[in-house]
Amino acid sequence: MNNVTASLAADRTRQLRAAPTVLLAVAAVAAPFYFAPFQVFQLTMVLLYAVALAGLNLLVGFGGQISLGHGAFFAAGAYSTAVMLDRYDTGHLATLPVAAAGCFLLGLGFGVPALRLRGLYLALVTLSFAVFLPPLLKRLEPVTGGSMGLTVDKMQPPAWSGLAEDQWMYFVVLAVASAALLLARNLLRSRVGRALRAVRDNEGAAEVMGVRLSLHKTLAFAWSAMFAGVAGCLYTWVIGFVSPDSFSFVLSITLLAGLVVGGLASLYGPLLGAAFVMYVPSVSQDLSEAAPGVVFGLLIITVMFVAPTGLAGLPGRVLGAVGRRLPRTTAIPDRTPEAASAPDAEPRPTAAPGFSPTPAPADPAVADAEPVGAPPRTTEKE
Amino acid sequence: MSAVTELLQQVVEGLGSGAVYASLALALVLIHRFTGIVNFAQGELAMLSTYVAWQLVASGMPFWLALPVTLAVSFAGGMLVERIVIRPVQGAPELTVVIVTVGLFIFVNALAGLIWSFTVKDFPQPFPDGGIDLAGVRTDWSTLGILGVVAVVMGLLYLLFQHTSVGLTMRAVACNPASARLSGIRVGRVLMLGWGLAATVGAVSGVLVAPVLFLEPNMMGGVLIYAFAAATLGGFDSPVGAVVGGVFVGVAETLTGAYVDVIGADLKVGVPLMIILAVLLVRPQGLFGRAAVERA
Amino acid sequence: MPSTRAHAGADFLNVSNLHAGYGQARVLQGLDLSVARGEVCAILGPNGAGKTTTLRALCGMVRGRGSVTLDGTELLGRSPEQAARLGVAHVPEGRGTFNDLTVEENLRVGAHLRTGPRRRGRAERAAVAADLERVHGYFPVLRRRSRQAAGSLSGGEQQMLAIGRALMLRPALLLLDEPSLGLAPLVTRELFEIVRAVNEEERTTVVVVEQNAQLALDIAHRAHVLEAGRLVLSGPAAQIREDGQVAEVYLGVSVRSRKAG
Repeated sequence: MNNVTASLAADRTRQLRAAPTVLLAVAAVAAPFYFAPFQVFQLTMVLLYAVALAGLNLLVGFGGQISLGHGAFFAAGAYSTAVMLDRYDTGHLATLPVAAAGCFLLGLGFGVPALRLRGLYLALVTLSFAVFLPPLLKRLEPVTGGSMGLTVDKMQPPAWSGLAEDQWMYFVVLAVASAALLLARNLLRSRVGRALRAVRDNEGAAEVMGVRLSLHKTLAFAWSAMFAGVAGCLYTWVIGFVSPDSFSFVLSITLLAGLVVGGLASLYGPLLGAAFVMYVPSVSQDLSEAAPGVVFGLLIITVMFVAPTGLAGLPGRVLGAVGRRLPRTTAIPDRTPEAASAPDAEPRPTAAPGFSPTPAPADPAVADAEPVGAPPRTTEKE
Repeated sequence: MSAVTELLQQVVEGLGSGAVYASLALALVLIHRFTGIVNFAQGELAMLSTYVAWQLVASGMPFWLALPVTLAVSFAGGMLVERIVIRPVQGAPELTVVIVTVGLFIFVNALAGLIWSFTVKDFPQPFPDGGIDLAGVRTDWSTLGILGVVAVVMGLLYLLFQHTSVGLTMRAVACNPASARLSGIRVGRVLMLGWGLAATVGAVSGVLVAPVLFLEPNMMGGVLIYAFAAATLGGFDSPVGAVVGGVFVGVAETLTGAYVDVIGADLKVGVPLMIILAVLLVRPQGLFGRAAVERA
Repeated sequence: MPSTRAHAGADFLNVSNLHAGYGQARVLQGLDLSVARGEVCAILGPNGAGKTTTLRALCGMVRGRGSVTLDGTELLGRSPEQAARLGVAHVPEGRGTFNDLTVEENLRVGAHLRTGPRRRGRAERAAVAADLERVHGYFPVLRRRSRQAAGSLSGGEQQMLAIGRALMLRPALLLLDEPSLGLAPLVTRELFEIVRAVNEEERTTVVVVEQNAQLALDIAHRAHVLEAGRLVLSGPAAQIREDGQVAEVYLGVSVRSRKAG
C-alpha cells in the first residue's frame, strides 16, 4: 500500500517537475516576438552566459575546484572564432566545433597541472592567468589584431526565416544553449557526474572506491573549458567584435560570482546566475559608472551570507529550515568566534559538517531537484 | 655604462618594487596565518587606503602627517571588514570564503570609483628627487625611502609579535585557535586585530606604490598578483618568506623586463604567474613554509 | 542498586539533566553528577559513553542544555573563553599545545587572563613569574625545555606542558581529557602523581576522563561511570575499585543484561 502511494506521489512529482520546464520552453520561444530588439539581445546574452556558467558549474559546483580564470577559455573560444571568420572566412557554423574542440583540448592541458593545485592555490593561479591574458592578446597582434581587436560579421538571418537579426541570433543561441545545458545535465547524470560528486564530497573515499581521481578531475576541466569556449564562440557571433579589454580578469571573476549567486551544483543555477551577470550591471549602470560594481559586490556578499546555496537553492533551504525547527540541534562549529555562537544563532548551514569545498547541498538528490520540486522530499518515515 | 653596472642598476630598481610587493604579501600572509584565508580583496583595501591618504593630502595635510592618519584609518577599517564581512563566513567552506573576498574586491573597487571617479590621480611623491651614485649605480631617494619605510614596518611587526603580550596572544591564536579560547583569549577580537594589522601593512604598499603607478581604482590589481607570487614563493605561512619572496619577485620582474626581449615591459605580469606555477609544482609549501601548508 | 544520585551537600560542581551532542548525534541524555570542592573525580566508561562530551560541555566547547553550576554560577551557554574566565581550565584530548611557540611562551599564554591589556602592573608580572616557578616545580622538565618549540617535545612532555599551561590560569576547576592517551605507562604514572600533588597542594578540583580506569581510580576520590550518555554508577573511588561491577560495566560486557534483569 505504501508502495502505491509512493509511486502515485512520484508520478505527481514528475508532472510537477515537468510543468515549469514546459512553461519555460514556451516562454523562451515566444520571448523574441514579445520584446524590443535590445531586450532580445539581452536575453541572448543571458543564454550565452548560461552556457559558460554551466561549464564552470561542472568544475566548481560538481568538481569542487575553484577557477577564477574561466574568462580565459571564454576568450579563447571568442578569439578562435573571430580569427577563423576574419582570416579564413570559414562561415559561422564551422567555427563552433573548432572552438569547442580547441577549448576542450586547452582545458585538458590545463587540467593536468591543476591536479596538483588544491583549493585556494588553483584560484590564485587561474586568477593570475586571467590577469595575464589581455596583455598577451595585445602582444599577439599579427593574429589577434592587438589592442584594436577584430571586427567580424555578425550572423545574418537567412531570408526564409523572415526574422530580424536579433531574433535569429536569439534562436541560434537558444538552440546551442539548450543543447549545451542538456549535455551538462546528462554529463552529471552519467558515471562521470557521479564520480565527480564523489570526488568533491570525499576525495579520499572516492579514490579508495576506485574512482580514477586524476582522470575525472582533468576531464572536468576539459568539459568545463569546452562550455566556456562555446559561449565565447557565440559571443563573437552575437557581438561581432573581440578585443583584449572585453576579456579582462573582471570577466572571470564575474563568471564565478554569477555562478555562486545563481546556485552551485544546481541545474538551474547557471541560468539564474547568467541573468544576474547580465541584468545587475545593466540595471545599475543607469545610476553611475561605478554602481554596477557596488551593487554586484554587495549582492555577492549578501547571497553568501543568507543563501550559500545560491538563488536556485533558496526554496529548498527555506523548506529545510522549517523542517529543522522541530528537532533541536546543539552543535557549534569549532572555529566560530564568540558572537556567532550566541545561543540564538541558527546553526549555520555554511558550517555544515564534512569539509566539502562547495556550500551546502551535499545530498546530490537535493542538488538535482529543481526549486519547485521540493515537496516530494517529505517522505514520511514514521 | 658597463654590463655589470647596468645589471646592478636593474637590481636596485627591482629592490624598490620588491619592497612594495613584500609589504602587500605580508598583509596576505598575516591574514592567511590567522584565518587560513587568502584575501583576494587585500589589494583593493590597500587601494582604498591610498585614496584616503590622497584625500588628506589634497585637503592640505602634510604627507608625513597624512600617513599615520591613513594607517590608523586602515587599521580600523580592516577590523571592521573582519567583523562585518568575514566573521559570518568563518568556518564556512573555502569556496564560500573565496567568493566573499571576491565580492569584497568588486565592491571596494567600485566604491572607490564611485567616490573618487575612475580618472587617474597624481599622488605626491613623499621623497625628494635625486639620489646617490655609488660606483656608477644610481639609487633614487624614493627607492631608498620605500626600502626604509618597509624595513621600519617589518621591524615594528617583529617587535609586536615577539616582544609584546598582545603579539604572543596573536601568535597563539594563529597557531591553535581552539586552545587559545580555552586559555581565555577572545579569539574574535584577536582576529579583528589581525585583519586591522594586515590592512595597515597593505596600506603601506599602496601609499608607496601610488606615486609610481598613479592612483586609480584598478591600481593594485597587478600588484596583487606580484604579492601572490611573493607569498607563494616565501610560503603562505611565513612572514619572513613574504618579505624575501617580495624582494625576489621584484628583482626577477625588473631583470626579465630588461633582459628578456620576448617579455618586455608589457608582458611582465607573466613573471609572477610563472613564479607561482613553478613554486606550486616544485615546492608547494614555498621556501619558508611548512610542508603541511594546506589547511583542510 | 548503586546510587545514581551523587552525594548531596554543598557541591562545588553540579551537573543536572545535561543534554549535549554534535548536530544530530545526541551524546548526553540527561546527565546528573556532582563534584565536591577540592576533590579529584574520575569519569569512566566505554568508548562513546559521553565522557569527553561532558568535559566539552563544561568548558563551553559544546553547547548543552540543562544546568551546570560551578560554585553557584551557571556555566552553560558560555563560550570557552568565558568559562576560562570563571576558572575552568580544560586540557583537551590530544593536548592542544601551541606547537609554534616555545615552552615558556605556551605557559605565558596560559597566564593570558592576568597579563591582558588592562593588567600589566609590576605585581602581576611578579605573580606570573611566581606561577612559572610553581609550574616548573611540578614539571622540572619544562624549565629545561623553556626555549624549545612545543612541537619538538615528546608526547609526555607536551601533556605536561598542556597541564602546566592550564595551571597558569590558577584554575578553580581543572578538566583533563584522556591525559594518558598515547603515552608510555611509566610517563602516565608520573603524570598522574603530579596531578595528585597539584590537587593536594593547591586544593584544585580536578575532573579527569580516562580510559585507563585503574590509574584514574588510584588518584581519584570519587568516580562516576557513564554509559550511553547517562550516569550508571558513582561512588567513592576506593569502593568502585573493589567493586566487581566496574569491570563489568567498564568493559561493557554484561551491561545490557544487568539493565534488563
